[in-house]
Amino acid sequence: MTTESYLPVPPGVGMEENFLSLDDILLSQEKLPTRTECVFPRLGFVEKTSDTRDIPEGTKMEMPLWLSKGLYDNKRRLVSVEQPKIYRQGWRTVFSADPNVVDLHKMGPYYYGLGSQLLHFDSPENPEIAQTVLQTYIGRFRRIMDCSQNAYNEDTSALVERLDVLERCLFHTGQIGLNDFQRWEKGQASQITASNLVQNYRKRKFPDLEA
Amino acid sequence: MDPSEVEFLAEKEMVTIVPNFSLDKIYLIGGDLGPFNPGLPVAVPVWLAINLKQRQKCRIIPPEWMDVEKLEEIREQERKEETFTPIPNPYYMELTKLLLNHASDNIPKADEIRTLVKDTWDTRIAKLRLSADSFVSQQEAHARLDNLTLMEINTIGTFLTDSLNHMYKLRTNLQPGKETGKSQDF
Repeated sequence: MTTESYLPVPPGVGMEENFLSLDDILLSQEKLPTRTECVFPRLGFVEKTSDTRDIPEGTKMEMPLWLSKGLYDNKRRLVSVEQPKIYRQGWRTVFSADPNVVDLHKMGPYYYGLGSQLLHFDSPENPEIAQTVLQTYIGRFRRIMDCSQNAYNEDTSALVERLDVLERCLFHTGQIGLNDFQRWEKGQASQITASNLVQNYRKRKFPDLEA
Repeated sequence: MDPSEVEFLAEKEMVTIVPNFSLDKIYLIGGDLGPFNPGLPVAVPVWLAINLKQRQKCRIIPPEWMDVEKLEEIREQERKEETFTPIPNPYYMELTKLLLNHASDNIPKADEIRTLVKDTWDTRIAKLRLSADSFVSQQEAHARLDNLTLMEINTIGTFLTDSLNHMYKLRTNLQPGKETGKSQDF
């Protein structure tokens, strides 16, 4: 049984975000290409490429997700958000052809999370984006399950590097299940070992005596 | 659930032993364990059998399904069928491990039995994974699996429920727009 010193808050998959989840906070840092629909007076210093005092209408900028979500309004007065490349038609075709070949970590490590958050910004392509994200997940599920349940005591970095953050969580869960079972089968489950928490304090002198 | 917890539950199963000591009937909370006479077989729970064996006070008789031919038959049937075949004991994996670790001298052809049980286990786990994959890829709402044991469910359980949770949330993306009251509880 693994006991952690805290209970991590899981990310909210789908259109909701968990306020306290570290994964979601990192997700909201992802940049989206946006276009301003009105003037932002005296904020020229934010936009480093131009030297004007204001940000004029129609500037294309990259904003993090948290800012875009805050500024976006249904009547579209302030900003309009374009979809990043990987959610557009070209890449959507690639994903529907074979989801397994894509390196999702390189395509932004938060493919599923960002895809779900994009649905907040109304766009006519939203249903297709949602459908593609779902189908990609389903297509890659088999590979993740097989890898995580069969790689015992090996270096899994080659398997994990093409996975998105959500898939890595799943992979990790699968590995825990496998490792627990193998430990039990070998008989190590009943051995008493020092807990992680106590080892972190580094006050144990007994192992030093033995070494 | 932990595999050790599943093993704990498995230790309640009854097995026959032949003690070499004598003792009157003992009255435990779970039930009575009947008088022990040297040389006469008696049925006891596995936890007691293992303990007595470790103290060299008994000889364990293997359960009737722990036999090479029977296990070979079960393995062949498992390989032929696409669904899960009923197995003789719902805790076959745990009992095999416990009895073969502590009482292998009382069980004939212990190594072969170990291999046969492992083969059956591998086949069943493979079927379980296939079924989980088709569950996800066809986006079914529920599935029915008969004749699964607790240990098998436990190995794949957390992974499967997590991935199905994710899939469900990604599916709710397809129906946009009902902003229900946001609440979070941990």
